[in-house]
Amino acid sequence: MRFSLEKRDTPLVSGWSIVAMSVLAVLIGMALGGILFLPFEASPWEGYQSLIGNAFFSKRGFGYTLVTATPLMMVGFGTIVAWRCGFIFLGFEGCLLIGAMGGTMVGLGALEGGILSSTAPALVIAIALAWGATLGALWAGLVGELKIRFGGNEVLIALMMNFLAIYLVQYLVAGPWRVVGDMPQTERLPKDLWLPYIVSGTRLHAGFLVAIASGVVIWVVMAKSRAGFEMIASGLNPRSARYGGIQVAIRQRQAALIAGGLAGLAGAITIYGVHHRLLDGLSDGTGFVGIVTALLGRMSIPGTAIASVLYGGLSVGGDAMQRQTGLPSSIVLIVQASIVLLLLATEVLRTHRIVFSRKKKI
Amino acid sequence: MTNAITLLRMQKITKRFGASVLANDKIDFDLHAGEVVALLGENGAGKSTLMNILYGLYEPTEGKIEFSGVQTSFRDPAQAIEHGIGMIHQEFMLVEPFTVAENLLMGTTTLPAGAENLNTARQLIREISTEYGLQVDPDARIEDLSVGQRQRVEILKLLFRHAKLLILDEPTAVLTPQETDALFEVLNRLRSNGHAIVIVTHKMHEVMAISDRVAVMRAGQMVATVNTSESTEAELVRLMVGRDLDLSVDRTEPKGRKRALELVQLQVEARVGAKATPPVALVLRHGEVLGIAGVDGNGQTELIETIFGLKEAQSGSITLEGREITNLTTVERRAAGIGYVPPDRRGVGALVTLSIEDNVILGASKEFTQFGLLNRSLARIAADNVIDRFGVKTPDAEFISGNLSGGNLQKLVLGREVSRDPKVLLIEQPTRGLDVGAIELVWGEIIEQRNQGAAVLLASTELEEILALSDRIAVMFEGEIMGIVPRDKATTPILGAMMAGRQLDEVAV
Repeated sequence: MRFSLEKRDTPLVSGWSIVAMSVLAVLIGMALGGILFLPFEASPWEGYQSLIGNAFFSKRGFGYTLVTATPLMMVGFGTIVAWRCGFIFLGFEGCLLIGAMGGTMVGLGALEGGILSSTAPALVIAIALAWGATLGALWAGLVGELKIRFGGNEVLIALMMNFLAIYLVQYLVAGPWRVVGDMPQTERLPKDLWLPYIVSGTRLHAGFLVAIASGVVIWVVMAKSRAGFEMIASGLNPRSARYGGIQVAIRQRQAALIAGGLAGLAGAITIYGVHHRLLDGLSDGTGFVGIVTALLGRMSIPGTAIASVLYGGLSVGGDAMQRQTGLPSSIVLIVQASIVLLLLATEVLRTHRIVFSRKKKI
Repeated sequence: MTNAITLLRMQKITKRFGASVLANDKIDFDLHAGEVVALLGENGAGKSTLMNILYGLYEPTEGKIEFSGVQTSFRDPAQAIEHGIGMIHQEFMLVEPFTVAENLLMGTTTLPAGAENLNTARQLIREISTEYGLQVDPDARIEDLSVGQRQRVEILKLLFRHAKLLILDEPTAVLTPQETDALFEVLNRLRSNGHAIVIVTHKMHEVMAISDRVAVMRAGQMVATVNTSESTEAELVRLMVGRDLDLSVDRTEPKGRKRALELVQLQVEARVGAKATPPVALVLRHGEVLGIAGVDGNGQTELIETIFGLKEAQSGSITLEGREITNLTTVERRAAGIGYVPPDRRGVGALVTLSIEDNVILGASKEFTQFGLLNRSLARIAADNVIDRFGVKTPDAEFISGNLSGGNLQKLVLGREVSRDPKVLLIEQPTRGLDVGAIELVWGEIIEQRNQGAAVLLASTELEEILALSDRIAVMFEGEIMGIVPRDKATTPILGAMMAGRQLDEVAV
């Protein structure tokens, strides 16, 4: 039997076909990963059962899944804004860390003796999130400015600035902001400065609602507003956009600020909702995985949100599976990566169909 | 001619793309040694498909090809060239920093007889060049050659590889009238030497001037093959389009004639690597079409983009109805009443991945905005207006603009610009690549705008178009305006000489 790819007359666009192909990709990815279970004489069936059960079918676990998905979503939304405007930004990791740093800075100022020590906790949180978003926006805005004004390479600059942010946080938690103790981390913020948990019995914090709200706002901006239209036009074809009187450079600057702001906000939310202190290794690739969720979500807001939850579930469920079965975490990471690759590969099936042809028997 | 040897016989050639597109429907096409055949047809008639099948780029769905009496089917162009079939595309395939000889030797796996090394090859090039009057120096670098010379290098390349059948795709699109004459001279020599030549074209006067026979295609079918001497332009157009056409232009005498646009000592930014050009002075009045003739790439686009604000003026001023607009942005100039139909409608004039409605928003997004949000119902009404008024053939305004045919997309771009009632309308290459039916409509609309009092600046490389539409004609050469001639004084020789770089006072008697 042979198979070949044949171009479809019209590409598949219906939601159901996308869901079906995505499910197929997940199943194939899990089947491939299942092979890796065999040397450990572990049952893939049980492993995956524990993965999915923990990630999506236990209240506490699903709470964790949504907590993990929160920053992924926001980085994903930022990716949509920047990339659709033609600004291929890879610096979300840096923005997220800088936002976390900014948020922590405000929180530390609210400790006893700080300048914000007499401010109401809710206001401190609000200032902290706003300051985190601002710093994230400026961090990305600097990359945008270097690209737009001097023609710098946005990819290279953003990646280098990621390192700058990573080591800046390392420096702060190891030096100036370090709390007495074994770990390089800052003092823990008092409980009244934590984002409230919104579902009892889970760790799901109010930051998730902020992420959902930001998704709605970004959707309105991109799909309904003039600014969004002009950003999308700038990204699709800068020459046409300029011809249409759109100030491409200004729109790209705005997109950079929005994208960086979202990532910075995500960073501050992670501090106030999850860790409650600044520590080394805080982000660990969230700024990159968020880009992947946007790609998996085909650059749409709902798609990105769903992809973020699925990816969050894989992480949470994978950790649980590792704890329960004792399998090395590398297996889980391989399964994750295979699923992502296969999901991206289904893109081909939207425009092509697989044709099986059997050799004719006489 | 009819008793000459049949070099090529294509029989019942059918080509389908997918299930629905029938690009060639049982085409018969013969070619004899020593004749020039014009392959005439509108866009989408199937001319290119047929030639690409012959050249080995496509495989026919059905039908057979006999070349020199042997049944053949070429897998790829390399095989076609080996058998003596050569094609010259509109874009030349030459390596600019290399010399003519280097370009000719490049890619030849087996060197032609008599060209064992670069020296003998140079000798051979000189011989062929002299024999056919090509006047090509084998040691000249391509980048130093004019467009007409480069085309002759392409011809030389085919002759060097012993091509017996030459296919030329729209060969005169980039040439001045003088260069066109020189090309026809070369083609005549090739014909008398026994070569067979196919010219793919839709320009009627060229068909009449050079061809022995005309093969007319329409909608994938070969509708007629006639001897040129026994036909007329009008008959050929009727065969090509399937109906009578009215390309006559109905102009009313303009009123007012106030100055609409004035360029004073306008210094246009030179292209990278090009030398600075003298400043431009120009007055454009309401109710007139000022044509800018010139070979492509002589500064027309740069001038118009500067007027539109896409390029910054180095010095000098641009005035719209007495108001200086030199420092306004493009969107401000649009709001002030300037519209622009760019030459590259797919790459610049439209956002081809977006809908017709989105494209109607382009350029006036502010007017469709309320409280920061786009008012889609307003945009829909505007889009439906453009579709109705200009007869854009589309299912609805949601349709992706890039899937429109060239003619319909141009109607959309022109319609959008015109629907904003511009005081000054800048138009470049409005009918490039359009078929005759669409040309009729576009020309009609340009004149309609003029008659209603708009000031139209029309840059085109098609002299026919310039002569048909303009009240006055300016000629540009290397960024400089060589002179402005009123329409009744303009003749092809005068304009042609100016297009080749001579000042008006040198050529006018």
